[in-house]
Amino acid sequence: MVKGLANGQTLKEMFKAGTVWLEKCAPDIDAINVFPVPDGDTGTNMLLTMRSALEEANRDSNDSAPSVAKAMAHGALMGARGNSGVILSQFWRGLAKGLGHDSFNGGDFARALGEATQAAYQGIINPVEGTILTVLKDAAKAAEKTAKSDPDNLTFVLESAVEAARDSVARTPDLLSVLRDAGVVDAGGQGLYVLLNGALHFLKGKADKIQYWKPSIVASESALTPKTIPASAKIETPYGYCTSFVLEGQNINLKKIRKELAKKGQSLVATGNGSLVRIHIHSFEPGEILNYATNLGKLHEIRVDNMDDQYIEFLKMQKEKLPITDMTIVTVASGEGFLNIFKSLGNAIIVPGGQTMNPSVRQLFQAVESAPSDNVILLSNNKNIILSAFQVVPLTKKNLKIIPTRTIPQGIAATLAFSYDLNLEENARFMEQATTQVKTIEITRAVRKTWLKGLKIRKGKPIAILDDKDIIASGDEMPDVILEALEKSGTEGTKVITIYYGAEVKATEAESIAERIRNKYKSEVEVVEGGQPHYDYIISLE
Amino acid sequence: MMVKFVTDSCSDITPELAEKLGVTVVPLYVQFGDDVYRDNIDLATEEFYRKLAESKVIPTTSAVTPDFFAQLFSKLGEETTEILTIILSQMFSGTYGAALQGKAMVKKNCGIEVIDSRLGAGGQMLLVISAAHMAQSGANLDEIAEWVRKAILRVHVRMTFDTLEYLRRGGRIGKAQAFLGSLLKVNPVLSINDGGTFPVARPRNRAQAIDFLVNFAKSFSHIEALAIEDATTPDELEMLAERLKDLVPPERLYRSKVSPVVGTHVGPHVLAVSVLEAEH
Repeated sequence: MVKGLANGQTLKEMFKAGTVWLEKCAPDIDAINVFPVPDGDTGTNMLLTMRSALEEANRDSNDSAPSVAKAMAHGALMGARGNSGVILSQFWRGLAKGLGHDSFNGGDFARALGEATQAAYQGIINPVEGTILTVLKDAAKAAEKTAKSDPDNLTFVLESAVEAARDSVARTPDLLSVLRDAGVVDAGGQGLYVLLNGALHFLKGKADKIQYWKPSIVASESALTPKTIPASAKIETPYGYCTSFVLEGQNINLKKIRKELAKKGQSLVATGNGSLVRIHIHSFEPGEILNYATNLGKLHEIRVDNMDDQYIEFLKMQKEKLPITDMTIVTVASGEGFLNIFKSLGNAIIVPGGQTMNPSVRQLFQAVESAPSDNVILLSNNKNIILSAFQVVPLTKKNLKIIPTRTIPQGIAATLAFSYDLNLEENARFMEQATTQVKTIEITRAVRKTWLKGLKIRKGKPIAILDDKDIIASGDEMPDVILEALEKSGTEGTKVITIYYGAEVKATEAESIAERIRNKYKSEVEVVEGGQPHYDYIISLE
Repeated sequence: MMVKFVTDSCSDITPELAEKLGVTVVPLYVQFGDDVYRDNIDLATEEFYRKLAESKVIPTTSAVTPDFFAQLFSKLGEETTEILTIILSQMFSGTYGAALQGKAMVKKNCGIEVIDSRLGAGGQMLLVISAAHMAQSGANLDEIAEWVRKAILRVHVRMTFDTLEYLRRGGRIGKAQAFLGSLLKVNPVLSINDGGTFPVARPRNRAQAIDFLVNFAKSFSHIEALAIEDATTPDELEMLAERLKDLVPPERLYRSKVSPVVGTHVGPHVLAVSVLEAEH
């Protein structure tokens, strides 16, 4: 129990434990899905944001509380992924502002939580209750109340904040109907609760033990269904470390190795025979991979690369190939087909990412910085990336315009509206306007069964989402769902329907659906390979 | 004595209008294999596109020769002492250089001005027409030449294409190469800027492209003259004329077709609008 004054070192340790706890719980938080579609991974996003915060704090040798909090705030901002990551970075900015002295007690911490709440609310244009914001607000209020009676007891103050956060998370479905309809609690609020709870474990002297505990999060009334996301290694954003080595041993069971390693990372490649196996894998814990492998035999040609560094190299390489212009479009996209489409339309820099792979603020910042021109236009192409994109504006010295596109077809429409005739402001205006001229239908497979707005949704069956908002059709057969979705989204005035087919779909399937659409509608129908993960089809109506 | 005018066939000026205005049109050449045709003289637009569709060889084009200009200038010099020559952009053809060389070869004591219009097609046509009108109202060579050089900046051309393949193949793609290689079907709209092609817009289909041309013309508050041209789609040209008819009096809306030489580089289905903006 911590009474009296805590310093920056304590603050760091608290949130180190919080991050360990967050890591434990991240998969469960990721599994919270409002819509039965593959979605942004809130737990992972918050975890990566916190890791970046801690890295920055470790670089800073100053142990005063404000200094540590400032470093955490900077690290969190640069590493922020997704909306929850950005809000978390604002939490830290507020906390840094609130912690005015080198050391702090419970009362100081409660006040800092209040500042953090303000900062978080101010960072959002339209704050919504029933989210991480509400949970933070409730936690800060409870902390302040406890601090009034017992300002010197930091542990008590945090404990009351954690309890209030837990209750607040449980109440989020009451405040937000989408949560209620989906039978889940808010994932971002959950993440904050877990983080604070981890910090509390440290204050209670249990930091060493939590890594052996089972994860525990606030349960919603209905059971959570874990997501099943097909991994498309090719387009996965490189996060963490790329580890490769050759394993030499006797009677190596390749199947078993594949199975075990697949649990530890992504983009696994394991080839060879019973005595020699070459392994390549992406993971956050290269040590864990190597530990596992050393038990099986001798390791050769070990190579561990930080993929964030590789990513910077990748950007540099792109930069050398670019023509000289005074304006550059930077796009977020995933899927081989879409990468090629955006390149073919002249978007010079492409940040890999999308629905379930939200790029960090740092990645977006680096992409903007690597642009060969001072004028840069950034297309987010996903609603969960818009907020991160806006964080880059004050970070860069370049003239940066964000076009807050919510879908890939919006991004393509914006790109096509770009004119070499116009200046940055005019282009930004026309491009944003162009996004209103396109409708997007996304077809994915339901990750769980549910009833939504009178539609029966069965797990694994196709569902159609209009403009990234409403589920408008569902059914057993893909072509029927697509035709129903077109019917419901209204095709009046639509001149061109473009069908972008995903990584899991064959061109011939897409073409046969296009033929059915051509028979029904007068619009031109174009079939293009998008190669996107998760979505069988993305359809644009222009 | 009145100023005489010379232009090249890439101005797309119709023979009737050229004759009425007293403009001599010198033809460039289009070649299908060994067959050489004088632009708009031996080969008209409709026939050219028929050949283009049927022919196995890709046509090429060639510039007017210096000799041709020298002889023409000498002949005209017997009737006048002032000749104004308005030629298509030297970024598209060597004809401008040939005209300058031709001028140098003329021994007669005759004022010859050769102007690089930095345009082509309808844009160049509007300059020629306006210049000829000035001469009819009594302006002299210097006055007209000065007016033309300034007016170039007030001429705005927009062309929509089904494909940029012909421009690329003929090496006239210029800055518009930014629009090449699109994996989506687009109907690119280009302009002529600084004497070369320039990428402007990428509508997704023909109807949107035509809308773009119409809105472009409508974006000017004062228009002196308009030129519209098609290659193989006279119906669309009429539709375009109908949609633009309120912008200028009918006698200042000029209809034409791209010449075979221009057609070689722009391909079928091209539609163009050129605006001569009024002086402010």
